[in-house]
Amino acid sequence: MTDNSEVQRMSLDAALDVLARRRKEQIVVGTMTANGAWRQKSPHDLNLACIGFMGGASTLGLGVALSQPDRDVWVIDGDGSLMMQLGSLGTIAGAAPSNFLHIVIHNGVYETSGSQPLPSQQQVDFARMAEGAGYAQTASFGDAEEFDSAIDELLAADGPTLIQLYTRPADRFYSARPTPPGTTPALARMWPPVAEALSND
Amino acid sequence: MTAQSIPADQLLSAIRGAGVQDVVLVPDTHQRTVLDLLMDDDEIRTIHCSTEDEAVAVSAGLIIGGRRPMMQIQHAGLYASVNNLRGVALDGQFPIVLLIGLLGRDPELEPEEDGSSMVRLCRPLLETLDIPSHLLDGPDDLHHVAEAFDEAAERNGPVALLVGTTTS
Repeated sequence: MTDNSEVQRMSLDAALDVLARRRKEQIVVGTMTANGAWRQKSPHDLNLACIGFMGGASTLGLGVALSQPDRDVWVIDGDGSLMMQLGSLGTIAGAAPSNFLHIVIHNGVYETSGSQPLPSQQQVDFARMAEGAGYAQTASFGDAEEFDSAIDELLAADGPTLIQLYTRPADRFYSARPTPPGTTPALARMWPPVAEALSND
Repeated sequence: MTAQSIPADQLLSAIRGAGVQDVVLVPDTHQRTVLDLLMDDDEIRTIHCSTEDEAVAVSAGLIIGGRRPMMQIQHAGLYASVNNLRGVALDGQFPIVLLIGLLGRDPELEPEEDGSSMVRLCRPLLETLDIPSHLLDGPDDLHHVAEAFDEAAERNGPVALLVGTTTS
């Protein structure tokens, strides 16, 4: 059994920096805490976000990956989010998109609601789960330099690939603002430009 | 009126006629004859999901990438998919067409008169979610399949088709 209590953890910033340095024309689906940080580090017209349907990032990314087999799709998922749609590991492995990279930010807590512990916080291991589901590659990193050294080889090989990144929880929580009536939801604003960019490609 | 069974090949023709490229599904006992044909079909891809919530998000992702998907699920899966129907299909304004089997429905009764809550609550739930629905109670209703895609595109949102009795 995995023991997460003593595992080395990097900062979320350092983890995302490693990815941002490799960002080219990949479609990236972000969610939860990592999404805001990612959008600042890697602003791009091919960024999508899972906002308002926690757990849906992995399968939204899967649909995009299956529709765009010649373009890489990265999903930057949360551990709590993935727990909500754990069956998606089997769905993704079954569909087996070679262009699919699944990053799981493993901080062990529901950070946006005040860092309450994840169920099985001390044991849960998404890389082992993904391996058992049938992902082509899985890996785990708690050190940013080690992740930086290994990622190019992982990116070069066929997916689906799941990389579990152990990160330290941030000391903050997210407070939802009221949505004014008549506001177009974020996803409805976000995806048509991405679809248009892909259709013009 | 008594609901009539729709032959699988006719339903598949209607799906093909609507230009569907991908069927995103969680298996439905009620439509198993159609599933058998779909899984042998060379033109329409089937994508198998663990849950119906996932099927909504996969369908949305396919639409972003330029594909024309259709969801195929059972009524129990409609209840399981409500959060993503709301958060993805409705809030995201995705023109997703859902083919939903009313497993166990008494073909002599309107769905709302059925003894099974899974059948009885289906259309009221869709109505609550502001998702239009059309009952496929026999081969004469198959025109709704292509029309549902037009309706979904016009309203930028999901449309449901309810398969009234077990396909043959």
